[in-house]
Amino acid sequence: MITDFLNGEYVHEVQILIFSLTLGGVYALMASGLTLVFGVMRIVNLAHPAFIFIAAYISYYAFTELNLDPMESILINVPLMFIFGVIVYRVFLASGADQPRYTEKTVLLTFALALMIEGVLGYLFTGANRSTTPTYTTEVFFTGEAQYLVPKAQLYALLMSLVLIIFTWSFLQFTRMGYAIRATMQNRAAAQTVGVNVKWVSTFSFGMGTALAGAAGALMSFLFSFFPNTHWEWVALLLSLIVLGGMGSLVGAVVGAFLLAGTAGLVSDAYGPSWSPLTFYAALFLILLIRPQGLFGKKLEMT
Amino acid sequence: MTLLEVKGLVAGYGSGPDILRGIDLTLEAGQIQCIIGPNGAGKSTLLKVICGILKPRDGEVIFEGESITRLRPDQVLKKGICFVPQERSLFPHMTVGENLRMGGYALKNARETRKRIKEIYRQFPTLKQKRWQAANQLSGGQQQMLAMGRAMVLSPKIVLLDEPSLGLAPLIVEHIFEIVRQFKENGITVLMVEQNAHKGLEFADWGLVLDLGKNVFDGPADTILADPRIQELYLGTRRVQEGI
Amino acid sequence: MTSVPVSAQEQPLVRSKLKSKHSILGLIILLLFLFPLTQLITANNLNYYLHLMLFIFMYIAMASSWNILGGYAGYISLGHNVFFAVGGYFSSYLLLRDGYSPFFTAPIAGFVAMALAFLVGFITLRVRGPAFIISTIALVLVFRIRLDNWERLGGANGLKLPLIDLPVEQIKFPFYYGMLILAIITVYTSYRIRHSKFGLGLRAISQNETKAEASGIPTSFYKIFAFAISGYFVGVAGAMWGYYLTYITPSIFLLILVGAQMVLMCILGGRGTVAGPVIGAIIMIGTNEFFLSEFGSSELNIFGTGAILAAVLLFFPEGIVGSLRKIGRLPAILDWD
Repeated sequence: MITDFLNGEYVHEVQILIFSLTLGGVYALMASGLTLVFGVMRIVNLAHPAFIFIAAYISYYAFTELNLDPMESILINVPLMFIFGVIVYRVFLASGADQPRYTEKTVLLTFALALMIEGVLGYLFTGANRSTTPTYTTEVFFTGEAQYLVPKAQLYALLMSLVLIIFTWSFLQFTRMGYAIRATMQNRAAAQTVGVNVKWVSTFSFGMGTALAGAAGALMSFLFSFFPNTHWEWVALLLSLIVLGGMGSLVGAVVGAFLLAGTAGLVSDAYGPSWSPLTFYAALFLILLIRPQGLFGKKLEMT
Repeated sequence: MTLLEVKGLVAGYGSGPDILRGIDLTLEAGQIQCIIGPNGAGKSTLLKVICGILKPRDGEVIFEGESITRLRPDQVLKKGICFVPQERSLFPHMTVGENLRMGGYALKNARETRKRIKEIYRQFPTLKQKRWQAANQLSGGQQQMLAMGRAMVLSPKIVLLDEPSLGLAPLIVEHIFEIVRQFKENGITVLMVEQNAHKGLEFADWGLVLDLGKNVFDGPADTILADPRIQELYLGTRRVQEGI
Repeated sequence: MTSVPVSAQEQPLVRSKLKSKHSILGLIILLLFLFPLTQLITANNLNYYLHLMLFIFMYIAMASSWNILGGYAGYISLGHNVFFAVGGYFSSYLLLRDGYSPFFTAPIAGFVAMALAFLVGFITLRVRGPAFIISTIALVLVFRIRLDNWERLGGANGLKLPLIDLPVEQIKFPFYYGMLILAIITVYTSYRIRHSKFGLGLRAISQNETKAEASGIPTSFYKIFAFAISGYFVGVAGAMWGYYLTYITPSIFLLILVGAQMVLMCILGGRGTVAGPVIGAIIMIGTNEFFLSEFGSSELNIFGTGAILAAVLLFFPEGIVGSLRKIGRLPAILDWD
């Protein structure tokens, strides 16, 4: 198989995989915030893609008005979205975290939140599909003997996503706050008994998840076009990634993202582009039924 | 010296009925005090209120002369009261070492934490041996040992133990109570809840009997063990079993 | 000693209250049936009001139908509009192909929706809580893509349907009566289910599924059956709605907002109560209409829907009926349980 790849037997397929896997990084970044928020607080945040869209619009205006490269606007998005996330958490989600059926309530609440954001975005930015167009969106690299095409924008986005994910992972692994977040994920009650201020950790994690959405939004602004109500399509896509990887697992989200991005690319190539999103939804159904705990995670139940 | 005082505590969960219906408790420094009573007497609930996880509906918790009734769990911990809940109190996917590090979370001083963890390892060689293993791979007794060791990292003034012997084999139970004694030797006051009333009182200095959310009796542990009425009511089953 | 005469007095009092409640409800229904006829007599143009009311009837039916699964059994579906679409497409397709009036095929369309619900429920009802909710969102998106690309059914452009052959002052009548009857049947069914052994089982499932199963309730069968019934009426509504609009597209039925409306109406009115969805539907359609006519913007409508949903969830999670009942202020006329 591998030698066939190297011998150029599968030039077309490899090219397809290059196209789709370079998007996998951004999917992973988008999903990382979602999985973090679920892991720490058991919140299934249906508004996560709406958050990404807000950030994408910020990047869009930073690009058109301030002439700021979308990659640079990450620096604006991250703090702004962090603050936004903290406020949203405090206003909508903080109460009742220890009650039964909290997760179910958060699904409905974030659903409501997503509708509100959609309404506001639609009101402010009606009209066309938008996207930012820095020069590298039209440029490509050629690589390998077969002269594979690597779109510059996708490659940059992939690298940036990987950097941000590794940064997030290291933060969780090595800092004091990271310890507290992981402890809260694994055993909320015990975290409390060793002196973790679970409320603040939850608030911070939600802010962090939203900040990751902020970074993802900047990358999204030049990779995909966006329109206020198309965020729903992303909900199921992102959920399928983290359900596959195991809800709450960062590594799982990354693996799930690349796995499904690759599969969707091949499916789209074989059966036509409209089938590509169906890959994600079908995967979501299958995983929920066959292995609800996903590859790396815990079972998603009525908690 | 009175370290902790509980006065007229009333508490319950959610909008449910009162579980604690006016409890008083006095804990002297350096003591091991054991709370006994039948299921549903409110023993665990009492510990949860003291450490701030559950807010009381009425009454007061006074620690070193200062009310801690309204404090958050992490604030209570900083005052020096450490709670070891009934089972599942570890971080399952963290290593033994990381779990101990989490024990020192409230210290904010990495070097001090390391020093104390070293001391724990000296006292519990088993934990040192397993330091790289994930907590969920330990046996029940080792997990309990780790939970108690983790409480020691902070060297708190009071440690609250909720049924430390629950679900453990008799041999290991013996070992766990040795650790309880070790707390005392390290100058840590112990307030524990025990279902295994005989064993608990044997190791304790002072006993408190709760029933239906109220104090029934309190006094020196050996007096309680000897009291025929309490034997009858609260240690009865045990005596019958031993009689056989 | 004194308790005997008191209770003896109370009994007939309760009965007469009940009787008067029934007669008031009966009167309201009678007036609703007579209302369109005033258009013929007075020659006022009431078409706008007829439109608004049949729209409310439709949502009463859909929200009550949703309530059977979402309220009684506690399984929240954000994808019930799939059944709406299936009903609409089935009847419209038969109308175009063979000329069968959707009024006759609507009950069958309901069964098609029901069959689909059986199939989907068989798969997705094996998971609970959030996992189930997520799967219902995915369901909507799957259907959206499928219909957008189904050339035979017009793809994303949909199908155009012939106008019903009636003079303009009567053109809304069949739809008005159709939706009114559907609403009455749905609410009555919901009421009967609530008071049946089946309904009791569903409520047990919503409280604690493991315990319900342990006490001998066939939980999987009950859940799937509840899902199917709650798909039925939504399918019937879809069949009539497509004909009413004279065209159908995937975006009419499969907007997330349509599914959200059903959920919101139930939660606003009171999940798991019989009257809740009815009250919720009336209020929501009223506010929607207000938003649309005052601000003329559907974006604000979306925002408003979200904001109301959030506010209800945060402040009155038991909805209007549930909250009023809790404080003992529920008017007898709204107590249908």
